[in-house]
Amino acid sequence: MELESLKYIWHSLEVPAPGEQERQALLALLEKKSQAPVARMRRNIIGEGILLLVAYTPAILIFLLGFNGRLIAISWLFLSVLVLFFAYYYCKYRLLNKMQCPTCQLKSNLARQVRTLKRYTRFYLLAGTGMIPLAYVVAYFIIRWKMPSVNPNPWLILLVPITIGTYYLNACYINRLYGRHIKKLQDLLQELDSE
Amino acid sequence: MQDPAIQEAFVRLVSEHRGMLYKVCRLYCRSVADRQDLFQEIVFQLWRSYPGFRGEARISTWLYRIALNTAITGLRKRRGLISTVEPDQLPAEWQEFQYPAEKEEQVQLLYAAIDKLTEVEKALTMLYLDDRSYNEMEQILGISQNNLRVKMNRIRDKLRKITQADVYGIGKS
Repeated sequence: MELESLKYIWHSLEVPAPGEQERQALLALLEKKSQAPVARMRRNIIGEGILLLVAYTPAILIFLLGFNGRLIAISWLFLSVLVLFFAYYYCKYRLLNKMQCPTCQLKSNLARQVRTLKRYTRFYLLAGTGMIPLAYVVAYFIIRWKMPSVNPNPWLILLVPITIGTYYLNACYINRLYGRHIKKLQDLLQELDSE
Repeated sequence: MQDPAIQEAFVRLVSEHRGMLYKVCRLYCRSVADRQDLFQEIVFQLWRSYPGFRGEARISTWLYRIALNTAITGLRKRRGLISTVEPDQLPAEWQEFQYPAEKEEQVQLLYAAIDKLTEVEKALTMLYLDDRSYNEMEQILGISQNNLRVKMNRIRDKLRKITQADVYGIGKS
């Protein structure tokens, strides 16, 4: 069958004018939220940020104002963790916002998505892996400062294998989550470019 | 953007072009539930982009870009081929439009042929079948008109072979 014959069938596929019920359904749809994974990820980040703020603020205030100021260092530690998490969420949120440009040309949108998704996964991997040595270093100094009788040096031996293990675990997980999608987008881009 | 007049204008726009939106959903999703998810997502994306539309591009170019970008590049959770949601369990307003039986057969044949194309080829075929000019196709897809012509010729051959094989069994062992 020729493409022109398919065109004839295609043009006959007209749908009738929408009824009032369908129009109302469309209006109701505008009040709902997108269920696309990127939109959900954005909402999850906001939710996690709020949850963290609600959980950490009382703890920070208790250690800051209570115990006659003896445990003020803990409140600073919590505050630092909170700031770090917010910086992490901010970077993730910004990358998610940049990821899609539905009004752009298909090819430029694909290129943009591949670029942003790669940056997003790299950031995810570095942040997920970097948290381990960071937590170790913080714990090390707290122990040295608050418990001088305890020697935390032997624990440092575990730092390298745990960090490497975490790196590969994260890389594997990220590849499972996004690897196929990135590959699909790259293939599409290649197909658009090829003559 | 809660202005009822804007909402009304948007609903009118989507209603006018919903035939095109249904076609995109049918081209890119096999199950009814997936098509409904995609339709919903395209409407969301259109609604989000609506305030930014200043008429610099043709309305059809704008609609095709959003619909095809959402269908092709959208990171979506795909359900398995067997739908877990029965169409008759869905709200009536989301049930698919059904063509008369005699036409449905032709429609099945058409979509079965297009279904064997790649996602990029499907987009090109749809634009061609919708009588879009090569200039507009270039605006939508971002590939040069020369490249578009080469691809269209290839698709034409591919579809001819597919439909010959489907209708007459040519090329099937």
